[in-house]
Amino acid sequence: MAGRRKGKTSDAIAEFFAELDRRGHEPLLENARGSARFDVTDGKQTDRWLLTIEKGDLAVSRKNAAADCVVRVDRAAFERAVKGKFNLMAAALRGEFTIGGDLRLLVLLQRLFPRPSRRRRRPSGNKP
Amino acid sequence: MNGLVKILDGNTFVVSDARGDIEASPTDPTGLFSYDTRFLSEWVLTINGDRMNPLSVDDLQYFESRFFLVPGTGTVYIDAKLSVIRRRAVGNGFHEELTILNHAEEPVDLTVRLDAACDFADLFEVKDALKKKGAYSARVKGGKLVLAYDRETFGRSTAISSSQQARVDKKGLTFKIRIGPHDRWSTQLDVVTERLGVEDSEREDPAKSRRRMQKGLERWVNEAPRLECDSEPLRETYRRSLVDLAALRFSPRIAGGHSLPAAGLPWFMTMFGRDSILTSLQALPFASELAATTLRALGDWQGVGLDDFRDEDPGRILHEMRYGELTAFEERPHSPYYGSADATPLFVVLLDEYERWTGDRRIVRELEVEARAALNWIDEYADLLGTGYIWYERRNKKTGLENQCWKDSWDSISSRDGRIPGFPRATCELQGYAYDAKVRAARLARLVWKDAAFAERLEQEAADLKRRFNRDFWVEDGEYFALALDPDGAQVDALTSNNGHLLWSGIVDKSKADAVAGHLVGARLFSGWGVRTLADGEGRYNPIGYHVGTVWPFDNSFIAWGLRRYGFKEEAALVAAGILDAAEFFEGRLPEAFGGYERSQTMYPVQYPTACSPQAWSTGAPLLFLRTMLGLEPHGDNLMVDAALPSTIGHLELLDIPGRWGRIDAFGRGRIDVDARRG
Repeated sequence: MAGRRKGKTSDAIAEFFAELDRRGHEPLLENARGSARFDVTDGKQTDRWLLTIEKGDLAVSRKNAAADCVVRVDRAAFERAVKGKFNLMAAALRGEFTIGGDLRLLVLLQRLFPRPSRRRRRPSGNKP
Repeated sequence: MNGLVKILDGNTFVVSDARGDIEASPTDPTGLFSYDTRFLSEWVLTINGDRMNPLSVDDLQYFESRFFLVPGTGTVYIDAKLSVIRRRAVGNGFHEELTILNHAEEPVDLTVRLDAACDFADLFEVKDALKKKGAYSARVKGGKLVLAYDRETFGRSTAISSSQQARVDKKGLTFKIRIGPHDRWSTQLDVVTERLGVEDSEREDPAKSRRRMQKGLERWVNEAPRLECDSEPLRETYRRSLVDLAALRFSPRIAGGHSLPAAGLPWFMTMFGRDSILTSLQALPFASELAATTLRALGDWQGVGLDDFRDEDPGRILHEMRYGELTAFEERPHSPYYGSADATPLFVVLLDEYERWTGDRRIVRELEVEARAALNWIDEYADLLGTGYIWYERRNKKTGLENQCWKDSWDSISSRDGRIPGFPRATCELQGYAYDAKVRAARLARLVWKDAAFAERLEQEAADLKRRFNRDFWVEDGEYFALALDPDGAQVDALTSNNGHLLWSGIVDKSKADAVAGHLVGARLFSGWGVRTLADGEGRYNPIGYHVGTVWPFDNSFIAWGLRRYGFKEEAALVAAGILDAAEFFEGRLPEAFGGYERSQTMYPVQYPTACSPQAWSTGAPLLFLRTMLGLEPHGDNLMVDAALPSTIGHLELLDIPGRWGRIDAFGRGRIDVDARRG
C-alpha cells in the first residue's frame, strides 16, 4: 500500500504481484491450474513475473521459466491494467498484449484484476 | 439475404452472390467475416474483362459450396465454350479452387482477373453504417497480396495467394493463361485472415481443415438419436436442425476445441449468454456436449467486479462477446457485455438440467463457486429495489441494452393500453427463472455439494418468491400473469407469451395453471401457427412487430415444455404441431420469427422481414418439441417416456437417445386431433 500512496507509478505492477503473493489463496480461482508469465517491457528492459496457480493457491516469482501462458505487454499499458483502468479483453483485441499458450487460464486470471468503476448502492430492501 | 450463398465455420463465414463474387456496400453483410471483422469486401472474377454468369450453385456442406459459371453477362450471347467452377471452403479465411475448362477444338488465351479489396469493417459498423478511424494499406509481398488496416496498436490483415503464378498488384491477381483444346486450367487461392495480439499457431492446411469439418459433421449426425417417423416433413426438419446446429457451433479459443452454439447468422456468430444456454437446453437430449461447453465458457467469463460500462456485477453471466474494432477501442461494451437479466438464473437451470440428463457430477462440482455466485447475484445485485425480485436497468446509458430480457426491442414491454413503463423493470419470466434456479440449485446442493443448510435456505426462498409472485403479478380481471412490474410496483398488464415461460419455470400456482394454459392456446395468443409474443387486442399488438405480435419458434418450444410440465399434453401438442407445420414452409429451417397473422387468414406463415437465419434457438426448437411431444423426462437413472403426439405426425420413433441410462429408444403414435382443437 505504501507504494500507491507515494504515487510512484512504476511500483504499481510490483505491488500488484506482491499482493497476490501475500494473498496466497483466491477462492475464485479454485478451478484454475497452471502458470502464467507476464513479460513487461519498457524500452530495452523486460521485467518478468511468473504466477503459478494450483487450485486457487497463488505463488509469484521473478523466474524466467517456461509457462502455460505468456503475456507480453508494454509497462505503461500493464500499469493501467493493474489499476483497473482498462479491460484486458479489449486491450488484447487492440493488440496491446501479445498472448501465447493457454488462453483459458488468462480468461480466469482476469478475475485477479480490479474493475474500473463502481455503481450506486441499491436501496435497503424491505420485502413484504 | 435472399439469393446469397453463405458458408461458415464457427465465427468465420463468407457471404457472396450466386456467382461467388463479393461486392459489399458499407451496409450489407456480404464478404468474408471472422471474429466480427470483415476481412474481404471485394472479390470479383472476370475472364477477358467479362463477369461470370451463374448456372448453378451446389451447397455441398455448410462450410463448402461450388459455383458453376460461364463467362459473359446475361444480356449477350453466352459463350458456352468455356465453363468455370469455383469451389470454396471456409477455414482460416477461405480456400477457393478455380477451374476453367475449354470445350473448344482450339486453344484459348485468357486473362483471368480477381479483383480484391477490403474495408475491415466491424460487424457493428456494417449494421449501423459507421465511419472508420484507422489507415488502410495494400502491399505485394513474396507473391502475396496483403491488405491491411491499422489503428494504433490494432491491426488486421488479409493475405491472398495463389498456387499458380500470378501477376499480383495492389488491387488483385491477374493470370495470363493458355488452355489447350478440351483441356483445363486450375489454381488454388488462399485468403487468410490475421489478427494481431493472438498467436494463431494452429494454422491448418485447407484440405485437412475440410476433412476435419466433414468428419466432424458426420460424427455429429451419427451420434445424435435417429428419428423414424411417418411424417416426411418432420424427418426433413429434424435433419435440417441437426446440420444447422452443427454449422452454428463455435469453438472459442478458451474452450480447448469444444464447441457451444453461437446465436445466428449473420449478425450473431458469437457467444451469447441467453441464446447459448437456451439452445443448449433445447439440444440436451440430442447433443449434451453443447451444454457442457456453454457452462464452462460462461462460467470462465462470469463477472467478478462492478463495471458500469459493461454492466458487470459479481456473479453475473455475460450477455454478449464481440471481437471487432469497436469493442477493442471500447466504443462498444462487448468485451464482454453483461447486460442480461436472465442469463444468470438460466445458467443454474442449465447446470441442473445437464446433470439430470447426463449424470455428469464432475462439472457440477467444478462449477460450484460459479453457481453460488450466480445465485448470490439474484439476491444481492439484481434486486435493484430491494423487493425480492429481479429488476433491470442499464448503467451504461449510451451503448448498454434497455431491455435485458429476451424481448429486447425498445417497445417490447408495455401495458394493455400501450403505455411503456419506466426503469427499473421486473419482467415476469425473470422471476420464474429465479424460482427455478433456486429449486434446482437446492437439489444440486443436497446431491453434489453436500450442503443441506444451503439447500433448505434456497427452498425456503423459492417458496417465498412463489407466494409473493402469485400475489403481485396475477392480473385478477384477466386471469393471467402481468408482463412486468413498473418501478412503483404496479402491474404492466399486457397478455403475453411470457406466461408460457412461467409454466416452464414451475412458479405458477396449480390453481392458476388452467387459466394460463387456456390463454396460451386461446384466440388472442394462439394464431394457429403458434403463440404470439403479444396478444391480439393489446395496445401495441402488431402481427409483424418484432416482439409485439410475431410468433417465435424458440418461444413456443419453451411454452410447450411449460404446458407439459403442468400436464397440458394436448395443448403442448397443439403448439408443437403448429410450429412444425410452419417449418415445412421454410424447408425445415425455422426462421427467428414469423408474422402473428391468423392461420385461417394466411395459408402460409409470413416470415419476419429481417429475421436471422439460421438462428440457433430456432434451430433448436424442433428438438425441444420432439422432447415435449414424446414426454421425455429423466427420472433417476431412467428416461421416462409419455408420448402425446398430434395426429398429423402419425408414428414416431426416436432411437438411441443418449443420457445417464446409456441409450434408450422412445416411441409414440399421433392420437391428438389438433385440427379439431384448432377449430
